[in-house]
Amino acid sequence: MAQHTTVSKLNFEYWLDKAIEWGQATTLESQKDMCLHLPQLQEFLRQIYETLKHMDSFVAIQQFPLIGQLLGRLCWNPFVIGYDESQKTLMWCLCCLYSSEPQNPVELKANSWIRSLLCHLLSSSKWESNEAETSTFTSTLGYTSADYYCHLVKNMVFSLVTELKGNQFNGLNIQGRVSASRVNAVSLFCLPLITLPDLTSLLETLLLYHGGASKEILSLEFLETVNEAFLKKKISLPESAVFNLWLRHPPSLEKATLYLLDQLVSIQLNSLEEVACVIKESLLPQAAIHPAIFRIVNEIFKNALWETSGTPEVMTVIQMFIQLFLQAHQNENKQHKFPLKAYFPYHHQPLVTALLRCPFGLPTTQWSQHLKHISDMLKAFVEDTNISSPADLFEIWFLVACFGEWLDIAAEQLLKAAVEPDALLWLLAFYYCPQNENQQRTQTMVEAQAVYNHLMMLFSCTVLSVKDLEAAVYSIMDIEQCCNQHLIIHLLTNFLLFSSGGHTIAQEFIYHITETTDSSKEVCNILIRTAYRINRIGEENQSTVKLLNELLQKLALKV
Amino acid sequence: MEAVLEQVEQLPALLAVSRFALVRDWDSLTLDRALEWGRYFQHLHDRFRTRPRLREALGRRLRRGQSGPLLSFPQLGRCPQLLGLALLENRALPPAACRRLLHSLLQPGAAAEVGPEPRSLVLLARRKAASRLLALPRCPPRPPEGMEPQLQAEAQLLLSRLREEGQEVEPAGEAAERLRWLSGVLEQLSQPRAFEVVAAALLLLRRGSGAEQAGGRGRDGSSLDGNQASAAGEECVAGPLLSWLLGSSERFSAFCLFLSGSLLASLAGHYSQLSRPYLDLLTVWGRHLLYDPLQGRWVESCLDKAELSWEELRERFSCLCQGSALLRGQTQAALKLLKAQDGDFKVRGLSVWTDLRPKLSSGIRV
Repeated sequence: MAQHTTVSKLNFEYWLDKAIEWGQATTLESQKDMCLHLPQLQEFLRQIYETLKHMDSFVAIQQFPLIGQLLGRLCWNPFVIGYDESQKTLMWCLCCLYSSEPQNPVELKANSWIRSLLCHLLSSSKWESNEAETSTFTSTLGYTSADYYCHLVKNMVFSLVTELKGNQFNGLNIQGRVSASRVNAVSLFCLPLITLPDLTSLLETLLLYHGGASKEILSLEFLETVNEAFLKKKISLPESAVFNLWLRHPPSLEKATLYLLDQLVSIQLNSLEEVACVIKESLLPQAAIHPAIFRIVNEIFKNALWETSGTPEVMTVIQMFIQLFLQAHQNENKQHKFPLKAYFPYHHQPLVTALLRCPFGLPTTQWSQHLKHISDMLKAFVEDTNISSPADLFEIWFLVACFGEWLDIAAEQLLKAAVEPDALLWLLAFYYCPQNENQQRTQTMVEAQAVYNHLMMLFSCTVLSVKDLEAAVYSIMDIEQCCNQHLIIHLLTNFLLFSSGGHTIAQEFIYHITETTDSSKEVCNILIRTAYRINRIGEENQSTVKLLNELLQKLALKV
Repeated sequence: MEAVLEQVEQLPALLAVSRFALVRDWDSLTLDRALEWGRYFQHLHDRFRTRPRLREALGRRLRRGQSGPLLSFPQLGRCPQLLGLALLENRALPPAACRRLLHSLLQPGAAAEVGPEPRSLVLLARRKAASRLLALPRCPPRPPEGMEPQLQAEAQLLLSRLREEGQEVEPAGEAAERLRWLSGVLEQLSQPRAFEVVAAALLLLRRGSGAEQAGGRGRDGSSLDGNQASAAGEECVAGPLLSWLLGSSERFSAFCLFLSGSLLASLAGHYSQLSRPYLDLLTVWGRHLLYDPLQGRWVESCLDKAELSWEELRERFSCLCQGSALLRGQTQAALKLLKAQDGDFKVRGLSVWTDLRPKLSSGIRV
């Protein structure tokens, strides 16, 4: 039968051996071993249950002769019972093995044994004793073991929290009051209990605990497990606790960042507001106010971009992250917060300052001028000071790319209010094609200028046809210059949105582009970004907004 | 309404049956019915807990025919667990019914189990394991007196029940009954344990410690009232406990002998009803000490009676003098009076009170 092949005899023996080993274990090493194996054990128990629930209890015992020993031993292991849902699965397994019509002494004995185990798990008897003595005091009061243990656990947690907090008195660390090994032990022993709501205050206290030692006191397994539980939203912690977790355990931070990227890149999101929501909930922008965290997250993003060769989705996530980070930084009330420039220490400071300027803090009439300023600085930096290594070039490019909103505004301004089109075009050309060893960027610039001039001629026409724009389309089809393609699509999309003539042919033309160049995702991305920006400013003419929404709806279906 | 009252009157019988061998004739249908009754009673509780008059009526009906307030309205709310766990531990329950019981205990209830936490047995098993795990790390510090977790849990349950009682029973008339019930309950524990629990409960009431607040104050009936800490409410709870302590002089004297000086001083500081009797008791013990000129110290006159030695007596008074200003004043005034009554000697060895005073004043920290 298919069912019992998943639960092989080998697995039973393996886990039984483990259970026996753990039963005799008192060392920290063996306890760590237990904690490491808890998730797999839970999965194994789940498989057993899935198999058992279709079987008659007598058949089950025949089929899995070791099952009694295994379940029995596991019931006496508080790590296993305390973990996540293992106790539920175990009790269900026991329930399956209980026979409603015992035919022989063996079954009767099995039933009795199962009752004992369940009483041990659920009554007020002490953990070690075998007797199911109900505490008469509790029951005379009219309460059950459920009430008793509810209070007891809360008291124990409170007592531990008080003990740990008592070590920190007015900011001074009174070392030696709580030994490091004890704190380590506490963190290890409460690992199975992380998802138990009663423990939240203890988790918080542990994460905020600083004993003054230079080495990490908390058990690494504990930190990893807390991070997992937080990422999967199985527990909720106050922000300060999460930040502390990431500061003291960089692998957790890495995991959290990668998890966020996975989440956002894999699902289809229809608006940047949704993306912003997910990023904010991850607490990473808020955490990044700590420069150490910012640095690590930044590195991870760079790597991700490098590995995916700069896909627009990843770039958008990074840009959104930086925006939210800046917002969080602004909202931060602490006196000693670092100036923003401190987060970008390796770069040309005037450039950083210019990029950090929030567009909405400037009147729109000054946008073009500001962009020219950025473009000039960047050009001087890139072309005049010999940036030879690709790594350095990448660094400066990444800096600019992070502030994607300015780039989008550049593309928009080119069409709406071009004061210095060459400077803005150069900025976009740099973004789409930073390298210039073989004059790629220069070439891109030239072609972009040609397209741009063409578009500006058509800008004021109220009636346009697709043919008028086709010349631009043909230049996109030139596959050799693919960075050109992105730039031109960007310009074209903006043209369609912001010129009166463009509105009429927008749907048709976009359909045309996306069919011929497989760029529907890209166009969609541009539209989503534009929609987000327009929603924030609120001042844009209604026909553009309407068109934008229609296009998005159509494209969302296609993608 | 009369029909409901009649049904409610059956609850004590139902719970009693579930604990004894009468269940051996039950089959799975009977068990289902029993569990359904349990859920029905819980439902009644949830419906009526915001209606004081109906609550009272149901409570009174429940108590009819029971000796002392064994069951009252809040227990209706806990009926499914009370019943379920009692049946689980009842070995006389036949296999078919037992299997049915296990299934329904582990099944998340049809009514959403998002209510107060204790309703889930899975959570219970997890918490029991948690209490074992959290005690594992070696060398825990000794908790301050009366604050040991198990002791506190028992005290919290006692307080919780007393509060529930306080909300149900009409004042004055039933006080004697309540006291009798309390005695019965405390007899379930060994006397030393009972003393510890009562002391812990009295301290919890006054300190209102974080653990107490965290320890499930939002229970079945009491979560509705916003002002549980109102003076009248606490009086209702402390009253029976103090009456029990002071009710018998033997018991009170055993209580004061068993507990430590600092704990008693703490209690005396919080409860003025205790400070006077305690001082009187110390006086009696003090008078039983005799001065032995050969050894140059005070000794107990009869060693077979359980009383305090000179050192212990001194320690007790010292603790009292470290208490609140009121308590300190009271103690010092009492000592002064006793010294005067004895003749106001200044020489050592003539009056126990003379010899105590200088020891204390040097030990007093400002």
